[in-house]
Amino acid sequence: MSDVATFNAHPAVAVQAESPLAISRITVATLTSAQGAGVCVREHALLGHLILRGRAADEGFRAGVEVALGLPLPLKMGPVSRDAERGVSVQWMSPDEWLIVVPQGEDYATEARLREALSGHYAVMQVSGAQTVLELSGPSALAVLMKSAGYDFHPRNFPVGKGVSTTLAKSTAVIRRVGEAQWELIIRRSFADYLYRWLLDASEEYGVFVAR
Amino acid sequence: MSQRNRLGTGGRIDRTRPLSFNFNGVSLQGFAGDTLASALLANGVDVVNRSFKYARPRGVMAAGADEPNAIVQLGSTEAGQVPNVRATQQALYNGLVAKSTNGWPNVDRDVMGLLGSLGGQFMPPGFYYKTFMTPASAWPKYEQYIRKAAGLGRSPVESDPDIYDHMNHHCDVLIVGAGPSGLAAALAAGRSGARVILCDEQEEMGGSLLDSRESIDGSPAAEWVATVLAELATLPDVLLLARTTANGYHDHNFVTLHERRTEHLADLAPQANGRRQSRARMHKVRAKRVVLATGALERPLVYGRNDVPGNMLAGAVSTFIRRYGVIPGKTLVLSTTNDHGYRAALDWHDAGRTVVAIVDARDKPDGDLVAAARSRNIRVISGSAVIEAQGKKRVTSAVVAAIDIEGFRVMGSTQELGCDTIASSGGYSPVIHLAAHTGRRPVWREDLFGFVSGGVPGQIAAGGVNGRWSLRDALEDGFEAGARAAAEAGLNAVTVTPPAVAAVREGKAVALYEVPHTKPTMRAPKQFVDQQNDVTAAGIELATREGFESIEHVKRYTGLGFGTDQGKLGNINGMAIAARVTKQTIPETGTTVFRPNYTPIAFGAIAGRHCDELFDPRRYTALHASHLERGAKFEEVGQWMRPWYFPRGTESMHDAVQRECRAVREGVGMLDASTLGKIEIQGKDAREFLNRLYTNAWTKLEPGKCRYGLMCKDDGMVMDDGVTACLAENHFHMTTTTGGAAGVLDWMELWHQTEWPELEVYFNSTTDNWVAMTITGPKARKLLAEVADIDVSAEAFPYMDWREAKVAGVPARIFRISFTGELSYEINVQANYAMHVCKALFEKGAKYDLTPYGTETMHVLRAEKGFVIIGQETDGSVTPEDLGMQWCVGYKKPYSWIGRRALSRPDTRRTDRKQLVGLKPLDPKVVLQEGAQIVLEKEIKIPMPMYGHVTSSYFSPVLGHGFALALLKGGSERMGQTVYLSSGDGSLHAAEVVSPVFYDPKGTRHHV
Repeated sequence: MSDVATFNAHPAVAVQAESPLAISRITVATLTSAQGAGVCVREHALLGHLILRGRAADEGFRAGVEVALGLPLPLKMGPVSRDAERGVSVQWMSPDEWLIVVPQGEDYATEARLREALSGHYAVMQVSGAQTVLELSGPSALAVLMKSAGYDFHPRNFPVGKGVSTTLAKSTAVIRRVGEAQWELIIRRSFADYLYRWLLDASEEYGVFVAR
Repeated sequence: MSQRNRLGTGGRIDRTRPLSFNFNGVSLQGFAGDTLASALLANGVDVVNRSFKYARPRGVMAAGADEPNAIVQLGSTEAGQVPNVRATQQALYNGLVAKSTNGWPNVDRDVMGLLGSLGGQFMPPGFYYKTFMTPASAWPKYEQYIRKAAGLGRSPVESDPDIYDHMNHHCDVLIVGAGPSGLAAALAAGRSGARVILCDEQEEMGGSLLDSRESIDGSPAAEWVATVLAELATLPDVLLLARTTANGYHDHNFVTLHERRTEHLADLAPQANGRRQSRARMHKVRAKRVVLATGALERPLVYGRNDVPGNMLAGAVSTFIRRYGVIPGKTLVLSTTNDHGYRAALDWHDAGRTVVAIVDARDKPDGDLVAAARSRNIRVISGSAVIEAQGKKRVTSAVVAAIDIEGFRVMGSTQELGCDTIASSGGYSPVIHLAAHTGRRPVWREDLFGFVSGGVPGQIAAGGVNGRWSLRDALEDGFEAGARAAAEAGLNAVTVTPPAVAAVREGKAVALYEVPHTKPTMRAPKQFVDQQNDVTAAGIELATREGFESIEHVKRYTGLGFGTDQGKLGNINGMAIAARVTKQTIPETGTTVFRPNYTPIAFGAIAGRHCDELFDPRRYTALHASHLERGAKFEEVGQWMRPWYFPRGTESMHDAVQRECRAVREGVGMLDASTLGKIEIQGKDAREFLNRLYTNAWTKLEPGKCRYGLMCKDDGMVMDDGVTACLAENHFHMTTTTGGAAGVLDWMELWHQTEWPELEVYFNSTTDNWVAMTITGPKARKLLAEVADIDVSAEAFPYMDWREAKVAGVPARIFRISFTGELSYEINVQANYAMHVCKALFEKGAKYDLTPYGTETMHVLRAEKGFVIIGQETDGSVTPEDLGMQWCVGYKKPYSWIGRRALSRPDTRRTDRKQLVGLKPLDPKVVLQEGAQIVLEKEIKIPMPMYGHVTSSYFSPVLGHGFALALLKGGSERMGQTVYLSSGDGSLHAAEVVSPVFYDPKGTRHHV
């Protein structure tokens, strides 16, 4: 372990944490309830995010990840490994890169478990402060994505459970289909305000409710 | 004015819904379902515009996108002004306000028209160039007046309050055009389960079926349209887009569709459900297959004065009668080369008005439609054509003569037939624009007298665009195309049995691109080829005589096809005339190139929502709220919003920066350094990778230590720099410049993936994960001691070390590095906790007057120390040695590193390269201009060799004078010399060449 410096970013004392959207203003007309909204927007802030790098071909690596996370390692772009109950998911990002999302505060422990279970050439990096999750749901959520990204979100190409990393407006996002009309967008902190405003702007015509 | 040309029955308009509109200041009425053009014709408005060059009165000629004349300026308010609207494609709405785009003082009495009427002889092609050629210096003045006289409408002077947006689509089959072929194709593809998009530029789908005389399955064709649309609407993966023009066909079946969403409702987009809606939407479609079902456009005949209002396309006459219930005159003469044109006469006759004669260029016309005309006792004059129209603002008669097409001459005497409308049909040109947008040349088909698609991969032409004119053929072709497209997209295509359509016997058409006149073309009354650009047959003939023989030259010399209609009506006739005059065939003459967009669209539609605040992302650090609270002025650095300076009260920028500089030199300041790129590096070969990436050595950097590193491109030129910390033996935290972050990570991946995949190392951006707060100044240690839980003494925490600590209770990595030359600590915490730490710093820092400072102060402080900024001191042509940073280049490293080889080239070893120096103006008050060129002599002579330029220049409060960094040829050998620099006001400043390190050259201040 000594060849890598691990870091528990979380204070032991109670400290106010702020989501990247803490500064964001809503400049479009929004609805006061989800009733009749074409689009509902909800942030899942402050979750634990980790980047895992390693060799997919290495059986020990795959087994180790499964032991540490309790989820199989996805080996290609497509379905996200997910345990909704525990709030843990693993997504294939590139041939040697995965995104792990865990509940708030569990990033350090997750890293420790991975390091315990893995050996050889791999890397684990915490990026919990670097990104946030926006949930888009409702009958018009799909239209909002179509207004924002060039990827094909049709169920034939994007069934429930799938996740991709793609461009979103003039930034990027990890986009996952959680349900028929429910999507998760994982966006970078510094672009969060821009994307949030872009998405609300695109949602406005359908009636948008922002859940707090 | 009443709707005197409105028929009592028929058409697809709703006579129970009258609409008021205003044209050129006159209030008029039309009905729901009208276009502006049909409503104008219903009201008997003959003159809708003045022509572009000759200011001749012009009327509605066509019924669709091909209209060359009825181009109007739309809008009841200044902000709602839209130029360049084709009245034939503008749906009528209540309150519509339109004006003619040309005509002064108005279209009926136009002053320019005088010039135009003389212009028969005096305004040949190239008139302006020939007439206003000398003196050349006067051209700008001439142009001012010429511009005023020309043009098609004007831009609004107020900004557009409407919004526009984009939407992306993927589909199996995109079908362009919802006429018979397009609907058939949609049905075949839709029933096959394909994801289908069907778009059509008109208000209603159906195309020619909406004004067809024919029956489908024994019912009027329009009923079949309704049935098909109803079925398509039930298919979940079929998207129907009316009012949507396929404007651009791009590589790989990427097609841009332009949907007009509210322009049929009002001139500014009304709200929907109390919410904003976009006025127009650009659909960006990626289709596996594209079915072009764009049909064909009728060619007008080219005869004398064929532009006088009342001259119309035969098909347009039928459309106005059958679709809009408008008959655009009382007495009709039809001049045609084909059977299909007869429909105009039949529709006219059946509407109860007089058809004076059908003049058919063919010697022995026969066919079902000819028979139908004869059975109505309509006079058919064969072997003849209308050779000239009479009348000024409206046709009064048609001059008819027998013609010899082959010999291009009139035979025998002429006769004059009184009429107010002349309809003409010279055949049909397939609408192949979308097949030509990617550069594929169309192919001439002599049997069709038209060009067809040259064949575009992934694109299937069906129906009229494919030369399958008859309804029966068009339907059959459409069903086949739809099924084939679905199959090629990977679906199991179903076969659809085409509906029953009676066969129509058609006689063979003849080609007639220019009607001969009794006088030669050059002397005949103007025979217009391209009405929008006032191009005549004589103009084309003259152009070829003057040596412009290539069709591309003819186009540019005459303006043929240069209008906003891209010559939809005139191009083929014009090419054929050029071919005849140059004694070539049409395929030898060739075509000009069609380009997107098919019809003009607003810039707003192209921009979509990428405008105003959403034009470019603005990136914020987690401390943004703190900066706002402290009154920061911001500077955009890349896309980042960085505090520039923090004025107090009414302080000027200069005063604020001087104060912030002093605070750092004397007390303690705080900078948000979060925007610097951060890359986490893990793996057993991480150190080796750094050795190859950076110019300097990393082998001996121990955990707990930091080092400054310099990166070169493979050409040996500096590309980035930053401090990298060794977190553990196989674990590094790299920082890059703010602007270079993404590029450096790409660069690392590139080298790792392509050159050194054997190195076991991984990189990942952690820029956004950390917030970096730099506290710097003599009092920084005292402040840090108050917030951090570690020993921060000089012995326990020396310069260029890093420590893990809790700062205000939050875990942090603190890097003792300095970009100011003062005692500095860069506190890094996870971004979500940054505001807490920031508040604590300012709370504890109050007694030290902790001063927030911005990028401007940062620049001054680092320049005083001679620290370079990549991109300011460097420009991609500067080596480490040019910057005097030999100490940072490890030529002894065992393995080569990026740029090393290039740094051994004779050019990079030259001693007279531009090198970094300091410049001290002799006048201490002077602040040299950044970018100012350096010369060695005071006296100006020519040539005046330039020896370098200023890269950074500021006033230093701590030095008490202006100072600059500069790149100077052989600079390291010029210390103490006096050089000269010009300034913006023309004055020359003298400066002494000095070391670039102005402040604390021994570095004692940060080694405390």
